[in-house]
Amino acid sequence: MGQLNLNTVQKFYGTFEVLKGIELEVKNGEFVVFVGPSGCGKSTLLRMIAGLDETSSGDILIDGKRVNDLPPVKRGIAMVFQSYALYPHMTVFENIAFPLRVEKMPEEKLKAKVEHAARILHLDQRLQQKPGMLSGGQRQRVAIGRAIVREPKIFLFDEPLSNLDAALRADMRIELAKLHRQLRATMIYVTHDQVEAMTMADRIVVLNAGEIAQTGAPLELYHKPANIFVAGFIGNPKMNFLAVTCTGVSDAGVQVDYKGQRVVVPVRPHAGLVGRTLTLGVRPEHILLGAGDLSLTVTPTVIERLGAHTVAYAAIGGEGENYCAMLPGTVAIRPEEQVLTGIRAGDCHLFDEAGIALERRVELTDIDMGLLDPAAA
Amino acid sequence: MTQPAMINRYRWYELIAIYAGIFVFLAFILSPFVEGFLVSLKPLGLLFSSPYKFWPENGSFDAYRTMWVSVPGFARYIFNSFFISTIVTAIVLVLVVPSAYAFARFKFRGSGPLLAAFLAVNMFSGAVLLIPLFRLMRTLGVLNTYFAMIVPGVAFLIPSAIWLLRTYMMRIPRELDEAAFVDGASHFYTLRRVILPIAMPGITVVAITTFIGSYAQQFIFALTFNSKTEYMPLPIGLYAYFGRQEVIWNELMAASFVGIAPAVILIFLMQRYLVAGLTAGAVKQ
Repeated sequence: MGQLNLNTVQKFYGTFEVLKGIELEVKNGEFVVFVGPSGCGKSTLLRMIAGLDETSSGDILIDGKRVNDLPPVKRGIAMVFQSYALYPHMTVFENIAFPLRVEKMPEEKLKAKVEHAARILHLDQRLQQKPGMLSGGQRQRVAIGRAIVREPKIFLFDEPLSNLDAALRADMRIELAKLHRQLRATMIYVTHDQVEAMTMADRIVVLNAGEIAQTGAPLELYHKPANIFVAGFIGNPKMNFLAVTCTGVSDAGVQVDYKGQRVVVPVRPHAGLVGRTLTLGVRPEHILLGAGDLSLTVTPTVIERLGAHTVAYAAIGGEGENYCAMLPGTVAIRPEEQVLTGIRAGDCHLFDEAGIALERRVELTDIDMGLLDPAAA
Repeated sequence: MTQPAMINRYRWYELIAIYAGIFVFLAFILSPFVEGFLVSLKPLGLLFSSPYKFWPENGSFDAYRTMWVSVPGFARYIFNSFFISTIVTAIVLVLVVPSAYAFARFKFRGSGPLLAAFLAVNMFSGAVLLIPLFRLMRTLGVLNTYFAMIVPGVAFLIPSAIWLLRTYMMRIPRELDEAAFVDGASHFYTLRRVILPIAMPGITVVAITTFIGSYAQQFIFALTFNSKTEYMPLPIGLYAYFGRQEVIWNELMAASFVGIAPAVILIFLMQRYLVAGLTAGAVKQ
């Protein structure tokens, strides 16, 4: 079992509040990713769960038992470090066997366990080598092997792939996903890379400045971000934001005005919106060439052709921020030549003055079948 | 022939300047040794011939044989020196390894001032404290024992050893400690199985400097705290070649070379552990 509960967990460095009362429940067998910009407290939170950092206040429960004052090994967790943290003077075998040696496990049982872990990680041919002779990916696998042999309730990963090059990272991502399916263990994974978060997570926890900005399945965060921060953080390139004025509210949604154009965005309104300045968000991949429910004529300044698609950047309305569109790969646009772009009302996100999203009227089950039955995810 | 890397290429006049500089300094350092060795080869009579001859004419290694005869206890002096330095080094290492680890890894009250105090202690040479130390030793009744030469040696060598080793250990990634801690290892287990093997080159450096330091400072402690012939270390033992009438220079020089030989051999052996790059592969850098 590997159920984790965080009850109003806080962390202070001096008087500075790094984590502001984190509430979270992680179910057994779940793959949860903590994601957020640097300095948001995600690594600190992981280290607190691991038992490497003190918890200032609040409770950390593993399988219902308060573990705040227990050392890591008694919590039933294993951790994989960003820097691998392998013991350079020991062979791969001894590195993986280290936790078992600490436990003083009998030699035969130990050997069987290490070899089993090595087989899972395709390290059987490398057991007698030293870490210095291995590639980055193999080193990371050794570090994972050291976590596996302990058979922990919860695996903790602290940006394990960020030191690998892009191709290897993609491979390791797939291997980690497989490993999770194979071990059926609870895994908590910290990263600043949203691709890792989107691809591997059952559930993503977006952290911002010591608070949980949103918790949800990857596609839930993508389609129904709870606030401007999550909307801007999830998705690449970043979501475009336009300042609009609310002109009316109806059953169909909220009518907004952008420089004379009016559009009804299908979102659930709340009271007192009319006359307020709202923020309209639209993802670059939802911007179309030609007119839409809302049309903008822009002059692209930079065009990046990536083959599969073309990313165009334009400055709009002196707001200094780039207006970014992700268009088909072979689209006929040129820098410094005006082009008409359109946005469909159904693709728009709307945020109130506090940055909180007005809920979009999209059924998530239409988007992600996995959400119909959480057990299937 | 392979060209040296761009950064290592010099013009001819730069090369001349470099080698000239090397020569000047080496001449100062090495000429006493060369002269000493040549003296040890000459018969005693030839040493005072005039004009002085730098090269031994009918040189022989006789002095290396007769030195054992004219000072029968010389082997004992070598042993004493070696023995005192070895014990000092062993004690220093046993004390310094855990404390350097503590200074490198743990935050505790007073660690900063303590380290500063160690540096301050280093500024006093043992000589300044000889008289108080003498009185202390006399009160304790340990004058004229090995103890009297070993304990002050240890005391004066610990501070620099802690500084050296602490710096080395701080370069060992902290994640290794954390990984071991997560896996349930105690601090001493981590020190023994993780830190100690990785810090081996640093420990070797500390061992060598301590050994040499102890060898060098024996003279003053032995001169002050010991008057028993059988405990005399090498530097004092050499005085035995100063006779009443004359100094047996050639044997004295031969004895000096023979005396430092064991230490030199030991240091060469220890150098084997000074392998660089032992931490390769520990963490991604």
